[in-house]
Amino acid sequence: MNRFALLTLYRSLTRHRLYALLNIGGLALGLAVFLVLGLYVRFETSYEKWLPHHQQIYLVQTDWHMENSPFNGAYPNTMGGLLDELKQDFPSLTGTRIEPVPFTVIRNGIGVSEDGARVDSDFSKVFDLQMVQGSLASALAAPANVLIDETVAQKYFGATNPVGQTMTLRVNGEQGSYRVAGVFKTLPKATDLVFSILVPLPPHANEDNWHHWGSTSLYTYLRFATPAAAHTFEAKLDDFADRHGKADIGEHASKTLQLRLLPIARRHLTPAGMQAASAKQTVVTLGIVGTLALLIAIVNYINLATARAGLRAREVAMRKVLGASRAVLVRQFIGEAILMAAIAGLISLAMAELGLPLVNAAGGLSLAIPYSLAVPALAVLVVLVGIGAGFYPAVLLSRFPAASVLSSSRAPGGGQAGSRAREILVIFQFALAIAFVIGTLVLGAQIAHVRNADLGFKRDGLIIVRSLAETESQRGKLMTAFEKLPMIRSVTLGGSNAGGSGNNNADNVPLPGQPGPGPSLRWISVGKAFFSTYGAHLIAGRVFDDEHGSDDSTHRGRNDTRNIVINRQAVAVLGFASPQAAVGQIVGKGNPRKIIGVIDDMRFFSPRVPMDATYYLYSPRTQGFAVATLRYSGDLRTAMAAVKRVWQQIAPEIPFDAASADQRLDELYKADDNAAHLFTIGAVLAVLIGCVGLWGLASFNTARRIKEIGIRKTLGASSFDVVKLLVRQFLRPVLIANLFAWPLAWLALRRWLAGFDDAITLSPLYFLAATMLALLIAVLTVITQSLRAARTAPAWALRHE
Amino acid sequence: MIRLENIRRSFISDDVETTALAGINLHVASGEFLAIMGPSGCGKSTLLNTLGTVDRPTAGHYWFGDRDLAALDEARLARFRAEMLGFVFQSFNLIDELTIEENIELGLVYRKDRHRDGRGDRKTRVAEAMDRVGISHRARHFPHQLSGGQQQRAAIARAVVGDPRLILADEPTGNLDTENGTQVMDILTSLNAEGATIVMVTHSPSHADYAARRIDMLDGSIVASVSRAI
Ligand SMILES: Nc1ncnc2c1ncn2[C@@H]1O[C@H](COP(=O)(O)OP(=O)(O)OP(=O)(O)O)[C@@H](O)[C@H]1O
Ligand SMILES: [Mg+2]
Repeated sequence: MNRFALLTLYRSLTRHRLYALLNIGGLALGLAVFLVLGLYVRFETSYEKWLPHHQQIYLVQTDWHMENSPFNGAYPNTMGGLLDELKQDFPSLTGTRIEPVPFTVIRNGIGVSEDGARVDSDFSKVFDLQMVQGSLASALAAPANVLIDETVAQKYFGATNPVGQTMTLRVNGEQGSYRVAGVFKTLPKATDLVFSILVPLPPHANEDNWHHWGSTSLYTYLRFATPAAAHTFEAKLDDFADRHGKADIGEHASKTLQLRLLPIARRHLTPAGMQAASAKQTVVTLGIVGTLALLIAIVNYINLATARAGLRAREVAMRKVLGASRAVLVRQFIGEAILMAAIAGLISLAMAELGLPLVNAAGGLSLAIPYSLAVPALAVLVVLVGIGAGFYPAVLLSRFPAASVLSSSRAPGGGQAGSRAREILVIFQFALAIAFVIGTLVLGAQIAHVRNADLGFKRDGLIIVRSLAETESQRGKLMTAFEKLPMIRSVTLGGSNAGGSGNNNADNVPLPGQPGPGPSLRWISVGKAFFSTYGAHLIAGRVFDDEHGSDDSTHRGRNDTRNIVINRQAVAVLGFASPQAAVGQIVGKGNPRKIIGVIDDMRFFSPRVPMDATYYLYSPRTQGFAVATLRYSGDLRTAMAAVKRVWQQIAPEIPFDAASADQRLDELYKADDNAAHLFTIGAVLAVLIGCVGLWGLASFNTARRIKEIGIRKTLGASSFDVVKLLVRQFLRPVLIANLFAWPLAWLALRRWLAGFDDAITLSPLYFLAATMLALLIAVLTVITQSLRAARTAPAWALRHE
Repeated sequence: MIRLENIRRSFISDDVETTALAGINLHVASGEFLAIMGPSGCGKSTLLNTLGTVDRPTAGHYWFGDRDLAALDEARLARFRAEMLGFVFQSFNLIDELTIEENIELGLVYRKDRHRDGRGDRKTRVAEAMDRVGISHRARHFPHQLSGGQQQRAAIARAVVGDPRLILADEPTGNLDTENGTQVMDILTSLNAEGATIVMVTHSPSHADYAARRIDMLDGSIVASVSRAI
């Protein structure tokens, strides 16, 4: 580019300010979207990749294949003793367990919970945690040693050297003194290894369930030198499971319970069990969106640049007459494009920096721009985009035959073919924008539906106290004290509670007169007033009460008949014609259970998991593991504060952990909520970018048609006629875009909705609404130009060449 | 039919005021053929545009029949143009994207009164108009496929297809050679003979002689009005 080339570029940019703004702004927006979503995808796919030799670390999954069980699928955890049993058969194996158990740091009698885990002494052979002080291997050798990360060290010891200090910890309910033996670097954000305190895993050999095949209590990680070695090892696991699992699972145990190896880096985006792969879907979708946003921005640039090319035809022709070769001209235009892309690149960095807090808030993320990586990447991108975006206009421009351009009064802008190509680009953009809008509408509607759906219980006015499960002797006292609080209406205990707090238990229920183990049902043990506290809907029979002594199953053996309440799902699964028909029936062969009542399904879990057939057992006196649910009236904060005060009086050493049922349920909706937020941002940007494209098309066509408009007006066309003509022309691509957007959105959304147990129907109204919205926005985009064109005095328009 | 009273038109651009028309008084009788002559920049086109209502005077009155056009709003003026006027330009001003036939039909589509009836009727009128200027064989061609003379005849066909009361022609022969120019003048003369009122700007004295009256302009004013002795 020579000085004159720069000068003409500068002049044409400042003369056509709106063009310049849209051209550079549009490209910057596309680059910024690409940058931000690229960061997001990079973050989500970078989990555990910060670990040295993460390619060698594998997680052992427990993969269930049971007959119609709600728990089928691969889970990331295994039974406690698996590693011991593996080492019996494969002595050279390197592996470690990570057992996340409740950790409480006790300071001055007050307990504060921390993320902690118990690990094998071989932990250091698998995970090379970076140490700040001490050695990982030797620290884990002594049973009363503790390793803490820098954050915990700072929190509890401040400036003093933590190594050698003593900490009082309550690990899994047992209190003890530990000596700080080392400090490791706080783990980065991109990890599912959530621990900031590590203690050695004590021997468990005699604990029940530790060697019970089918139990899943901790994470087992193995390390192999090569993927091939891992592969060979995985192939031996079916035989291993058949040999060791015979006692608990039966012959051919591997047909029911399979052990698998998952590379640790893939763990984050691998869903557990039957959970839909929504995290992965979101990452893939947003990755595609980012790439498309960039592509569209490039396409818009080309679009506007070719439009401008038409206006510059005379300049090009003159340059040719003056002796510029085609190569020189092509170089000039590509140079221009790179220069514009570079400006756009700088602006996009600013946009990304400004937009990240918004995206972080919407998506529950904490992304930041790594400049050392982003700037060189952007530089490469700018050159590529510049060449990509500048090439077509460059070739188009340099090809104009100078003589005919100079002798004709018409600006050659690629003519009919050029405007057709532009129209196709606009169709493409609006198809995406409309699909996005439909998606946003449907996501929003589905999430609202989930939030407002009847869960089978009254979700407002409930407080779930999770930390009650950690109490022992204080439990009764706490419950009585809660009940006495003025704003507490009723209290109850449950093995499983709204929002999924509690245990997951399932049991096969053999049916009378039918062979086989029978269907698998979830079971939940409940305390006094469980159904009334939750406000469950009774459909048939009755719920538990203390008048019927036989309801209490606490001290009944497995062979005694126990009374159960079932949910609506269970009626069908157990093969009864109606809820009424089920009442009074006895199911389960050697382990008989009598159905005394049927309640409507109570949805405690994620809207994405199917509603399970469930039965409820009454155990009002002892509770192995129980979370408290309180129904309060009045203000949540007042009630919560009162409950917390009671807690801190009676059980100060156990950290109080409670939330309203709404908050707990919200956590289940969070991933979809975040996806919807990101989607909304995406939709707004897609529409915005689409508008830039349409604006470009409109401005180009309007400019080209100024003379025609003048002629039409001298022939008596009114301003309204002209606006109608122009708007109709610009709406055509938007209307055609629907033909592509509708099926695309329909297919994608049908898949997304299939992930929900209770999904809304894909009503055509969402599609119509999106189309109307797109049309409205399109009209607003082109109306000012059309009006301006229509208002120009025809005499001026005809002088205008 | 037409009466201009003290029409003034000035343009203000870059703070410089140009007076294109400095108080024009003019009568045009129904059925008249008027030629306007004068040096470049004296305001001929501006006067014609004012007559055609595509340019609004800064001051003065424009009576068309008994209507004061200065009082009409933009929409009514558009309707007036559609019903009453036919334009012919030096640079033809055919729409590049439309065929000759479609260009001519455009002279009818904005009419809200007559000729709204059926496409078929419109097609016949277009065919008649093309016939009379002798370009029927080019109906399906695009403007750039035609010679200048043919384009100008198409433009005339477009101007007359709606039976306008007044035909305004701004240097209709300016871009044509002698032979094509004569052809165009013959067409205009015969239109005038059939009753159309014509106002034509021209630089060619011989073409001005086709008109019954000629006015000369200088610096935005009419300096002479000469009627041809019959
Ligand atoms: N839109 C406009 N803006 C500014 N000045 C204008 C405009 N239109 C016409 N003028 C000026 O008004 C004057 C009269 O112009 P007009 O076009 O009427 O001249 P003309 O007699 O038709 O000339 P020619 O024979 O060259 O066509 C000229 O000085 C011209 O510069
Ligand atoms: Mg002129």
